[in-house]
Amino acid sequence: MKRVRIERIASQLQPPLRLSLQSCPFTSQTTAPRKELQRRQYHIQRQWQGQKHTVIGKRRASNVVAAEQPESIDDSASATLFEDDVSVRPRPPLYAPSYKKSLHSAKLAALHSRLSLPSKLPLPTLARCLIDPSADPRPGYNNAPFSVLGQDLLGYHTTEYLTCHYPRLPMSVLFAAQYAYVGSAALANVRSEWGVEVVAAPGQEVDPGLLQLKREVPGNSLAEGTDRRMKDMPGVRKLGGILGTGRANAEWNYRRGMSGRVVHDDEFGDLQSGMPSPDSQPYPGSALAESAALGGETTEDGFSQLTPADTDATTVESASASFVRAVTGALYLHAGASAAKGFHRDHILSRHLQLEKMFNFTHPTRDLSRLCARENFEPPVARLISETGRLSRTPVFVVGVYSGENLLGEAAGASLNEARVRAAGQALRSWYLYSPPVNDVVLPSDVEEGKGGKVWKAQMIDVGEIVT
Amino acid sequence: MPLQALRTVAKPQNGVGAFILQCKRIDLHYCDWAGSSKGMNDFLRTTLPAFAKQNPSIELSVSPRPGRHPVIKGLYINGRQKAICVRNMESGEILRKVELLKAASGERLRRERRPVKSANESVRGVWDPFHGHKYRI
Repeated sequence: MKRVRIERIASQLQPPLRLSLQSCPFTSQTTAPRKELQRRQYHIQRQWQGQKHTVIGKRRASNVVAAEQPESIDDSASATLFEDDVSVRPRPPLYAPSYKKSLHSAKLAALHSRLSLPSKLPLPTLARCLIDPSADPRPGYNNAPFSVLGQDLLGYHTTEYLTCHYPRLPMSVLFAAQYAYVGSAALANVRSEWGVEVVAAPGQEVDPGLLQLKREVPGNSLAEGTDRRMKDMPGVRKLGGILGTGRANAEWNYRRGMSGRVVHDDEFGDLQSGMPSPDSQPYPGSALAESAALGGETTEDGFSQLTPADTDATTVESASASFVRAVTGALYLHAGASAAKGFHRDHILSRHLQLEKMFNFTHPTRDLSRLCARENFEPPVARLISETGRLSRTPVFVVGVYSGENLLGEAAGASLNEARVRAAGQALRSWYLYSPPVNDVVLPSDVEEGKGGKVWKAQMIDVGEIVT
Repeated sequence: MPLQALRTVAKPQNGVGAFILQCKRIDLHYCDWAGSSKGMNDFLRTTLPAFAKQNPSIELSVSPRPGRHPVIKGLYINGRQKAICVRNMESGEILRKVELLKAASGERLRRERRPVKSANESVRGVWDPFHGHKYRI
């Protein structure tokens, strides 16, 4: 005699407790489900497929799901099933929530609205952006393709902003500023500020609005079955970032200069990892591999055979960064270049970064005198502007560095020498942080926007850093 | 090496570019039997759908909590929660409480002693005795 429960009022219903029929990919025993379960599973999937074209709206999330090669868990069972209905292909196994679930997820819809994403970006694509390759290794189902595109876009917009607004910024500070805006740590902060939570472990039953990844075991945790910490176990940790850097000389003490970083390393000047060595085998499905293989299988890629049990675990920080990049990439694909640029401006450039605090000089007086010699200024001379308390415990000396009669920089210090050095540093900072007038700054991407594009003005390109 | 850089991370400024509403989820609990939940039940039936439509960025969850007073809980991006017991309140009052949860930031209620918080130093500079007019006896 229960009263009628209030249902279908709010955005989210309480999800019914459904037991998953698929075996968990993370169990140690990977036994195939029995035939009975399999038949029910395919029946449900076929029903789902019949509803798929009406539930998912006109805008297709991705073409890869339709074009994915069929996979069969048990050949005999699939043969009997598919003789009945030729039009139905066996669906590939799902390691993450299906696209249908993404349309009913309140978390996902709330995230879409919180970021003010345009309606051109559909919910299933946003759901796919939340799936890290460690949760699902197939590129057609995870955010890796979007993330690659988004990383390039974010890096490009940040670089053009920094180089056009601060043309004299030295390379090391440019790398550091790039990292501060769009590095992994910054993007991980962005993810948590967007209110995106992380799963404890990926699976088909999790909410589509959560960031799904296979979490790396922390170094301080105990290894299973032993009382030793993971970090103390030999062979578990990889050798720094030396493997797969793409550099010819991988010795630990080989000199890495700024120019070398520009050529070999990533956009932040850090060593890369995972780059293929020159003698590695081509990935299965590449043109080289297919020509070399004799009567090999014509699968699209070697990823179809991989399961989440095969993937490497990642950290929350790197998965968060790839999620934010994936959103940018997906936005570019669905809504265009100007939408992606606006996204970068709203979420990345709106952040506060003090470039003047990122300089670390070792010999500023020497650098300043080299700079003045190069620019044909008069040699820098330090002069005492004012002082107090010379014989006391806390003197203050204000020293200015002059080139002729022009004051280049001034600073205060507790001793004459300290004040002089600080003043030279301040002079160098003011040189490096020169910014052209706002009206003269035209970013290359501003010109590319069709009708509303600006007229190109030649941007200032600096002579180069000070060579000492 | 002439110059090294000090790595840091840019700080967020919510609202300067994009504005992210800090309230990400509101849980609404009601009871069919308790009299204190009458207003809450009315609110859920009449007012909540419009609120949900106007605030698509908030995830709303309605669930029964039998034998208890009705309560609304807000979950915020900084991880904190705010709970308000809405027993014996009318639908309009509950709406005001829900709007209160929506408008909150998630931080603790505290008395702000300094009226202005800024990441930038002062524009005109802080006074120091070393520049400008020198005192002469």
